[in-house]
This record gives sequence, structure tokens and C-alpha cells, in this order.
Amino acid sequence: MKILLVFAAFVAATCSEQLFVGDQVLRITPSDEEQIALLRMLGEQAELQADFWHHPTSPGRPTDVRVPFPSLKTVKNLLECNSISYSVMIEDVQELLDEEKKTMKSRRRVRSTNTFDFASYHTLEEIYDWMDTLVDNHSSLVSKFQIGESYENRPLYVLKFSTGGSNRSAIWLDTGIHSREWITQATGIWTANKIAEEYGQDPSVTAILDSMDIFFEIIINPDGFAFTHSSNRMWRKTRSINAGSHCVGVDPNRNWDAGFGGSGSSSNPCSETYRGPYAHSESEVKAIVDFIRSHGNVKSVISFHSYSQMLLFPYGYKRAPVPNHQELNELAKKAVSNLAAVYGTKYTYGSIVDTIYMADGTTVDWAYDNGVKYSFTFELRDTGRYGFLLPSTQIIPTATETWPALLDIMVHVLEHPY
Amino acid sequence: IPDSGHKYYLQFTTEDYKSGENAGSCLATVLYPKTMSPPVVNIKCVPTKDQKQIQEEDDKLYRKIRHQTKPITGNNIPDSYGNIEPALEPVWALAVAGSSYIMWEKSTESLGYFMAQVKSVKQWIRKDAFLEFDYTVLLHEIPTQEIISCHMRLTWLPGHPLKVKYFCASENHGLEDGSGMESGSASGILHERGANF
Repeated sequence: MKILLVFAAFVAATCSEQLFVGDQVLRITPSDEEQIALLRMLGEQAELQADFWHHPTSPGRPTDVRVPFPSLKTVKNLLECNSISYSVMIEDVQELLDEEKKTMKSRRRVRSTNTFDFASYHTLEEIYDWMDTLVDNHSSLVSKFQIGESYENRPLYVLKFSTGGSNRSAIWLDTGIHSREWITQATGIWTANKIAEEYGQDPSVTAILDSMDIFFEIIINPDGFAFTHSSNRMWRKTRSINAGSHCVGVDPNRNWDAGFGGSGSSSNPCSETYRGPYAHSESEVKAIVDFIRSHGNVKSVISFHSYSQMLLFPYGYKRAPVPNHQELNELAKKAVSNLAAVYGTKYTYGSIVDTIYMADGTTVDWAYDNGVKYSFTFELRDTGRYGFLLPSTQIIPTATETWPALLDIMVHVLEHPY
Repeated sequence: IPDSGHKYYLQFTTEDYKSGENAGSCLATVLYPKTMSPPVVNIKCVPTKDQKQIQEEDDKLYRKIRHQTKPITGNNIPDSYGNIEPALEPVWALAVAGSSYIMWEKSTESLGYFMAQVKSVKQWIRKDAFLEFDYTVLLHEIPTQEIISCHMRLTWLPGHPLKVKYFCASENHGLEDGSGMESGSASGILHERGANF
């Protein structure tokens, strides 16, 4: 028995990290001085390696001792033979230590944007949590505020990137207006993080944020997004109830007051392009309309969708080109070329009506008709092979290649104030 | 073309659905008659692979599927995250081929499609050498943005034309409104020439 104890002690000493497998912590309550003397003697038995956390002081006062596993039987026998009352406070010290390690690790994961997994698709809760982490990690640059609530009363959050000033010219970015287009929210997170990281590092980002603010709404349609996780991965619209119909939802990208009600949208609540009962009927859309209107100084609106690999600008509701069509076309051409330079991904570009199809009541058309000269829509990867179900392995490549194109637009806006 | 319809002249390249490699180029004309009857198509393609290579790849795909000990079943291919289990890839490939026939028949001058997902697949074991599958595939319709659910029964043996029987219904049932609903529409058997993957 003694050899075993010596061996155990030897092994413990040579291991780099001390393990406490099977060790227990006993709470001993001596009832008189005799018992206290006995406990003191126990502590003096070197080979038992009893580790007193509380030393025996007076009768009735509990004493906590960590007893190594090999000594447990001996110690317990001693206590029982002498009628010293005790209880097991910790059944296995190592288990407790492991548990604590795990908790620390996971807490660390959430605390730092460095450990957020940008290469995975996340849930609404995870994204909302991450937003707070981003703000915590870059508190002098990023703040979060709420512009309204979704139909199902979820908060609509916007991230503000600002180095100060008062009501500076601003760029509005949004992702996730159509909930099934998961690559957009995922690209949004990566991009928001990129903007925060590159301020002070990248000359263009720094120049932009030194004079302008960026507003970024990562999830325009949280109800739809939650629904794609819980029930239908292919859900596109909002989740508002339509009076007189069993069909739910309005297409938020047909609900804006720009050419509202034309052939580029549907009057049928069951349709994926249902425009809604009236323009801005959707709280998700109204919140942005109110924000941009009251801000009064938004110079660019860039909205992200998928899929098709296109860079589009107004109009979608009519064939007539916008007054600065040439300028937007040239800028799109440049942006698309820089995007392709990263991994060879080919994008087409042009006005919505020329490049994709007729669509009325869209975000960018409304923005343009309300004075925002630089309004663009990105249709991200791919071109139909995976479509909405783009593998998560393509998240970072997509965000990475889109970044220079986005920068091109933002730099152009900075250099062409109006 | 006045009083006749619209004629399109197309020049395009094709790529292998699996690898993304260039698979050849094609020249085609498509005439959509004013009468809304099916389009008249003339097409000529120059494939990058020769017939022997194509045959070999078909055989390889066939063997991969036959090799499985149990009848293949699956759901949500790809899944919500875009993942396709390697074991189900051949079955997804067949679905792509079969769906392309459905999309070919359904598309018009103003309506196009992509195969969004295989919702379910079930293999029927046959006494002969043919492979047979029952699929539910989701088609993404442009520009309506609708998701159309189609049942597809597919039969195939390398060297033989792919046989597809299908029935489509739209996902958002508009009972009070006919749009988006395709009840009792085309169930057709097709003989497709030289189905290659």
C-alpha cells in the first residue's frame, strides 16, 4: 500500500500538469479538541498528501481538506473509526477543473471577434450577439442602434461606423433583405468586421471614415431569417400576415415607393414578389425609409442580394436610364473588374431592367428617386449551381472578392461629394 | 421577325457541372413563335471530350451508384448549409440531369429555371440493370422567384437515353387564385438523346 502511495506521488511529481483525477474535497466537522488533534496529526502524515483548504481551529467549525485519490480510503477509515463527521464537498476535483476550463474557453470565444467563425452560417441570435462583440472590440469606431421592429417584434439593428463629426455624409449598406439569400448576411458580418479592422490600416477605408459615416444593417429581415432556420430554408419575404389570405409575407424588395404597383411586382399575397397592400407597409422597410429621410445626408445605398453575380443600378421599374447612367456604368465596370481580379469570378453589370428583369418598388430605385445618386445592388455568388444553398466554404472567398468592388464604390462616393 | 415571332441567336460555352471545367461550345437559334407554341430550336455543339471519354464517365457514375448495398435514400441535397454528402453526389448529379429536362420543357421566352435543391430521393431497385429514382426537386423560377416543387421519376442506364416522368405543383398554394399553381400539367415521358454528365 505504501509503495503505491510513493509511486503515485512520484508520478504526480514528474507530470508537467498536475492532475487531480478522483481527488475529493471533504468537509470535516470536528466535535471536540481530541478530534481536532487527530485532524492535525492527519495533516502531518506526509505520505497521505492531505491538502487542507481550511485548517482545523475549533470544535463545530468545518474544515475543508482535499484528499488525493490514493489516500481516500485511509483517510475515510480514520474519520469513521473515530466517529468524526464529514461530508463529500467535491466528488471529483479534476472533473470540476475540466468543466471550468471549458466554460473559460467558450466565454473567450464569444468575447473576441478574432474567434468568431466567419466561415460558417450563423443563427439570428449568434449574429446579434456578434454585433455586440464587434461594438465592444471597436468601441471608439462602432456603435449599434435600433431603427425599429420587425412584424414579429424583433429589433432591427444598424451598426454605425463613425469617427465623429455631426451628421456627416453617409453610406448605407444592407444585407439580408431576402432571408433565403444566406450568403448576404454572412458576407455582411465579414465586411462589417473588415471595415472595423481596416480603419487606421487601409488608406481608403481610413480616408472614407475620416470624412463620412457608414451605416450597416446586416439583417433587414430577421423574421424571415429566423424562419429559414426553423421552418423553410427557401423563405424570401417578410412574415407579415396578409388580410384575407392564408399566404404570409411581402417581398420587401417590391415594397418601396418607387414605381410601386407596376408589372415588376405581384398583387397576389401568395406570390414571392407580392408588393404588399401599399408602399412601405412593411415595418422593416418603413424603418429604413424613416431613418434615411430623417438623416438627410445619405449619399450612397448599397444593397446585397444573391444569386446571379451581377452589379446593378437603377432603374428596375422603368426602361429610361438614370441621368448619371454613364457614371454608374463606368463605376460598375471598374468594380466588377477588380472583383474578378481576386478569384476570376465573373459578374455582369448594368441597370436592373437591362441586366436582370423588370422589378418595381425596389430599395435602390427608391433611394435614387430620393436623391441618393450612388445606389447599387450586388447579386452575389453563384450563378445557379448551388443558388441559395451556397456552401459555407464559399463565404470567405465571396466576401473577399466583393470587398475591392465595394471599396471602389465607396471611394468614388467619397471623391464625388454632392 | 414581323408576324412570326422572336428569333434568338446564341453562342455559348458549357462547363462540367461537377468540376467547372470547360465542356465545349455551342451555336444555336431559338425561335419563339407568336402563337406561343413550343420554340423551334437548332443547335450544334462541339464537346471537349470525345464519345469514349463520355462513355467512360457515364459508366463510372453508374458503377458508383450500383456499388451501394442498400437502396439509396436522401433528403435536402444540398442541405441548408450547401453541403452534399459525398455518397449522395452521384444521385444529385442525376437529379440535375433529370431536372434539366423538366426545366427545358417548362421554360418560355420569359420564364427560366434553376434546380434549387433535391428535397428527397428514393431509389427503386429493379430486376434489370436500369437505375430508377423517385425525386422531389425544388426549382427556382425566374423572374417570379417562386419555388416550384416537382415529383420526378427517372430511369437510366449508360448508353441509353434518360427517361423522365414528372409532375410539378407550386409551393405557395394560392387556392383562391390560379397563378402559381400548375395542376394536372404536363406529365411527359421523354427520350433524351445521349444524356451525358
